[in-house]
Parts: sequence; C-alpha cells; structure tokens
Amino acid sequence: MAQHAAKGARFQAVTANRLSDGEVVYWSADNRWVEGFTEAEIADGADAADALLARAMPADFEAHVLEPYLFEVLEDGSFYKPASVRETIRAAGPTVRLDLGKQAGA
Amino acid sequence: MYRYDEFDHQLVADRVSQFRGQVERRVSGALTEDQFKPLRLMNGVYLQLHAYMLRVAIPYGTLRSEQMRMLAHIARKYDRGYSHFTTRQNIQYNWPALDKIPDLLDELATVEMHAIQTSGNCIRNVTSDQYAGAIADEVEDPRIISEIIRQWSTFHPEFTYLPRKFKIAVTGHENDRAAIKLHDIGIVVKQNSAGEIGYEVHVGGGQGRTPFVAKKMTDFVPKEKLLAYLEAVMRVYNMLGRRDNSYKARIKILVHETGQEEMQRLVEAEFAKIDASDMLTVPQEEIDRISAYFAPPAFETLPAESETFTQAQAADADVARFVRANVVAHKQAGYAIVNISLKPIGGVPGDATDTQMDVIADLAENHSLDEVRVTHEQNLVLPHVKLDDVKAVYDALAAHELATANLGLISDQIACPGLDYCNLANARSIPLAQEISERFADLDRQYDIGELKIKISGCINACGHHHVGHIGILGVDKKGTEFYQISLGGAADENAAIGQITGRAFTEEDIVDAIETVVTTYTDLRADGERFIDTYNRLGMAPFKERLYD
Amino acid sequence: MTELNLVIDGAAAKNIWHYLDDDAPLTDAPSIITLTRLKAEADSLASRTAPLGVILHADGLGKTDQGEDVRELAPYIDQLALVALHFPIYRNGRGYSAARVLRQEFNFAGELRATGDVLYDQWAMMNRCGINAFELADNVSLETFQTALGELSGAYQPAADATRGALWARSGK
Repeated sequence: MAQHAAKGARFQAVTANRLSDGEVVYWSADNRWVEGFTEAEIADGADAADALLARAMPADFEAHVLEPYLFEVLEDGSFYKPASVRETIRAAGPTVRLDLGKQAGA
Repeated sequence: MYRYDEFDHQLVADRVSQFRGQVERRVSGALTEDQFKPLRLMNGVYLQLHAYMLRVAIPYGTLRSEQMRMLAHIARKYDRGYSHFTTRQNIQYNWPALDKIPDLLDELATVEMHAIQTSGNCIRNVTSDQYAGAIADEVEDPRIISEIIRQWSTFHPEFTYLPRKFKIAVTGHENDRAAIKLHDIGIVVKQNSAGEIGYEVHVGGGQGRTPFVAKKMTDFVPKEKLLAYLEAVMRVYNMLGRRDNSYKARIKILVHETGQEEMQRLVEAEFAKIDASDMLTVPQEEIDRISAYFAPPAFETLPAESETFTQAQAADADVARFVRANVVAHKQAGYAIVNISLKPIGGVPGDATDTQMDVIADLAENHSLDEVRVTHEQNLVLPHVKLDDVKAVYDALAAHELATANLGLISDQIACPGLDYCNLANARSIPLAQEISERFADLDRQYDIGELKIKISGCINACGHHHVGHIGILGVDKKGTEFYQISLGGAADENAAIGQITGRAFTEEDIVDAIETVVTTYTDLRADGERFIDTYNRLGMAPFKERLYD
Repeated sequence: MTELNLVIDGAAAKNIWHYLDDDAPLTDAPSIITLTRLKAEADSLASRTAPLGVILHADGLGKTDQGEDVRELAPYIDQLALVALHFPIYRNGRGYSAARVLRQEFNFAGELRATGDVLYDQWAMMNRCGINAFELADNVSLETFQTALGELSGAYQPAADATRGALWARSGK
C-alpha cells in the first residue's frame, strides 16, 4: 500500500475502514470512530502518534474496523488536511464522481 | 449458452450459504480479519479506498439478457446505480456493504451467476473471445472448453491455496482478442491433420511488476485430455512455485527461472502420470452435453446484403461512422456483430449505469438472440444483430450515450480504477483517460490516427494492461505526487509484446501533451497504411524519444 | 505431552504418535521423524519394526522456499505408517499437492495427517486431497469439524476421495 505515514511527519491521524460497510472512518478525540476527517484527532509528534494509534486499537478493534493506520496531515491555516493524494481521496471520495463518497453530502 | 443443471445450482447455493456463515463468523469475532480475508477474497470481496468492492464473475464474458438485467438491478439495489466492467470480462460493484453481500449473492444465484474465485490465490474466471460463435473462421467455439475448465477449476481442492492468483484464457480464432499470451495459461483451439480438435497451450504469461509473454508448452493436447494437462501444469506450479515473495510467486517467474524446456519436461512427466490414471479424461457424453449448449443459435436465413442497412448509412453520417468503427462482419449472412463502446468522450472507461445495462439487456433480448458479451478491453458486444436491425440498435444506444463510434481508436482506452477507488494504486488512471479522450475527441482525427490502443495502470500491478498498450501509461507516486511513465510498442494480440519505457516520467500537467507528441510523431513518420504499432515496429523507440525529451 | 484434539477418518481419536527432535533417541514408541533424519538413518531404519512416521515441511525451514519434496519419500514409503503434512500458514497450499501425490501416485494407505495452521475453511479441501487425520485446536468440536466437511454438497472434479465429480458423474462415469 502506498502513501502511509511519512517518516518525520509532524502531524498524524488514524484512519481505518468500518467492518460492516467499509466506510472510511477516523479516530476522534472522544475515543470513537467517526466518518468525517474534520473530527479526527490530530497527534503532534511521533510519540503522540504512537499513543493515538494504540488508543484506536484496543483488544477488540477488529470487531469494528479493518486495518487502522497512521497517516500524515498538514496544517492548512487553522485547519488540517491529509498530506497525500490517497488520503485526500479517501477523505472526500472519487475525484471522477463528485456525486459519491463523503464529498457528496458536503 | 450454458445453462445450470441442478448440480450447478446446488453448488452455488451451498457457496452462498457458506459465505453467509463466514461473514457471520467474522462479524461475531470468531474469525480474525487475517483469517477472513482469503475467504472473502475467494468470494470476490475486496476492501478498496472508500468501501468494499465485489467482483462478479462473467464466465468467458457471455451473458444472457436476464443476467444483464440482474446486474443492473444489483447496481440499483446494493450499489450506487452503476458498475464497472473489467479487463477480465468481469463486473465490479464499488460500494456494497459487507453484511448485505450474502443477500446480493442469493439474488445473483437466481440467474446462474456468482462471485466464486474472482479473487484470491486460486484459478480465476476463465476468459475468452468476445466474438465466440459469431466470427467467421473459428476453429471451434472456445466457450465449450472454457465451460469445461470453469467446472473443473471451481472449488478445486488442490488448487485453492496456490502461491498466487492464476488466470486462464482461451481463443478459438487465429486473431487473439483474449490476450491469451498474457495469461498464466493461454489456450489456442487447434485442429490437427486428422481433423481432431485439440489445444495449443502457452504457460507463464503475465503483466504486473515483471511482465512476460507466455511460452509455448505444447502444440496439441487432445480435447478429452486437456484437464489432465492443466492439472499437471497446476501441480508443478503448486509444488515448485515460490511462496517467499509475492512478487515472484506467479507461474511466469517459475517458468522464467526454470526455463522453457525444463518446465516442459516437468509438465510432461506430471501429465504422463495423471494421464495414465485416466481419471481426468473427460467423457465424450459430457463434452457433447456441454457442446450442445454452444450450438449456433436460431439464425434466420437472410440475404447477405440489407437494403435497410445500406440506406441507414447513406442517410445518416453518424450511423455510417458507427458502422465503420463498431460493427464487425458476422459469420452468418445477414447478421453483424455490434460493439458497444463503454468509452464515451470524457467518460469513465468500463463504467455503465443501471439504466444503460437495462437498455443493453433489452437490445440483447430483442435484437441479439438474447446474448451480450463483455470484452477484455472493457466494452460490450451484441454478437448476433440482423443487419436490418443495426439502425434501430444504434438509435437505442445513441439515446443512452452508448453509441460512441471509437472502437479500437485512441479514445477506446483501457484504464484500471486507479487511485480514485483502488487500495493498491499509486496514481489516478481515470482522470488521465478522460483528459486524453477529450484531447482527441474529434472522431475524424481519431479515424485519421487509426488503430491505437492506449492502456493506463495506476500502479505496477498493471490491471490497466499498460505493458501491452501500443502506448502504455503507468502512474507512479513520487513523495505523494502523481507522475506518469510512458511505454511504447506493447501488444496483447497474437503478436503479443511488452512495451518499452520511453524515459523519465511526466507530471500530471505534461502527460497529455506528451501523448500528443507521441501521436504526432507517428502521423508525421508513418508510411502509407501503417498503423501506429507498425510504424513503431519499423522505426523503434528513437524518433519518439527524440521528440519527447529534446 | 499434552493431549491432541485429533480427528481420524471423521471420528475423535486418541493420538499415539510422538514428534521426535532430530537429536532425541529413537525408541519403539510410534515416532514421527524429520525427512532429514529419515534419509540420514535410512540404513538403520530399514530394520525397524515399530511404527514410523515422517513430517514433511511445506516451507523451506529458513533456507529456500521450495519446501520438502514429497517425492523424496518414494524409497521409504513402505516403511511409513504415517505422513504428517505441516502447513506453516494456511495460505501455503503446497501440502494439498503432496497429499494427492502420496495417495494417488504412491498409493500410500497409512495415516495422512494435517498439522500446523489448519483451519475450519480448509478441512474439506484437505479431506478431498486424501488427508484423513487432523490436529484441531482445543476448542473445536467434532460436530464443527463435520459441519465444515459438509458445507459443499458436491464437486465438479475428482481428487483423492471417492467423489467422482459432476463432469464425470453426469454421464454415469
């Protein structure tokens, strides 16, 4: 798989796909999986990122999601955005079908 | 067309029920994802970027109208109103929920369809010539042996956990439309001097990271012994194929590392043992039973010429262009093969909406003796259309954006789903295909350029067949940004060849200009009547490279 | 050694066999030795009358990936009462071919045992290839095992079991 967390990335978040329907989800600050990237908890620094991933993967995580992983995010003014094309597309939906995916409701 | 008997029906029903149990065990926590993954894959369920993806098998690319209608229904009910036809003649749904897939499969089973072995390290859906049974000069309808192979390979107990996936393709015609030399096993139907039907077998073709054209293993295996021969190839592969590195696990690597002659020796030795037992010699009665399903349909006796057909072309330039590009001669007088391009200018290659699929199902039922075919170039075919009906078929297609007259031309591109959908991709493929087709949108310019196959993959796995495109494009990732590498001179037909990379990759902004440079280099340098591939084969890489990089 | 949850020929069975390390002394107890030892001690083993078994590894034991070649058992097959096929991970299916070679090329009639990563969804396939003994996880019931074997009601192709396969059965062959 391509374009996961880059070494030396400062800001990272945790994402996965939901078991029941494959929906892209993010680990949020209130310790649950949410559908919107804007609600994702952002870890600052490698140690915080490791701790975030550990919190997102309790013993029973596989009952809810598939393959959680860290990915790099960048500061964008007062917001954050995914660093890679891949994660940008996961957060929004297919660039060739703007009527589908998370972007459709936006 | 083949019809299920009670046994076929029962086995598919068993499989759906088995998969329902596997899904329940996964959801309940009895199976870990690592344990569940190969099981869902063997039932065609992948996890992609946004959702699960379900790949449904279309054996040798042949569909009845009721099956096409069911595919449309599933797109509506379980997906988002569209689906995607693939280079292995299958169909993919991009958004089904895991917990609904068993219900979806139950519905599919009502029309004799399934998702069995459409993924996983097993023998995949057998593919074949989309013109089977319709084109002149066929040795034998390749779907007969394809169906026998389909049955033999389904739930084969020995070959369900192979080192890697395994793809078989069959052609019954000297013009190979099934890319058989790019398959793990490629089969050519042959007739020997005694008039008997048998098979020439090629082994070890494939694309991906290390592309190879298959090597010929044998000139002729008699019809009833083909399964014994295939089982021999599979056993050699299962015992000796590498499992330490997934990039070196395909049979092409085994053939390459072992050498063609030694591989032939190993296969022949295994074949001799299996053949001596006689256990895989297919009974003549069963061959006859399956062959009967592929007997020619009830063609009417018609004159070779159709006044209606001629007049329609004379009266309407669009019809004439459609006929010129998309209509192919049929073996039966008064009939034609009508290709439906799923490559509208600016569209997503291979995608069709539920409405379009319903329209095509109706056309198949009313005008094509109930049949539709899927091509490995991601188009559809109405194989048996009366010349008298071509105009009516054209009108119905045109009303639903299905009449783009670009078959085999520069805008008829193969493209994998790429980074817009795929979990493995490094770069997007579809937007590039859209930009290229818009750049060359003018049909007259496309006709002037002539036959030119562009094939685009979003990563080295090569699902978009870039290695065998006359012009191949490979998306690569450099530090999170998309770049595109061009290769030239590939071919997927009977003269199969792997393309050569031109040089450094192009940015997303520059790639379409670079493709245009390649095309104008060809049009400037071509001799009379030369297609792109002919000019490339005559002149080689140098002139193209010079224009691209100087 | 702990009691194995063993199924032989579809019924719960008591394990009488011991897996023996290469440096452990060979006694008259039913013993499963490695292929390496079988070849090295072939001369002395020729006169052994106590039950002898061998374990065949599908992976390369850290050296190559080819795994051990089932056909190396050919000279010893008459001495063997058991062959254990080790599945290092369920995805490694080399053992399925080894089983068919043993049953159909060597006509091996002894116990053919699956050991290692041997899971629910593989049992039926293994059974069809001629494996008749399964070392199951402790929490697996015999009933579960039998359910797994019956999930598919038929087959298209012959293998090492009695099923002829629909391609033959339809015409009564």
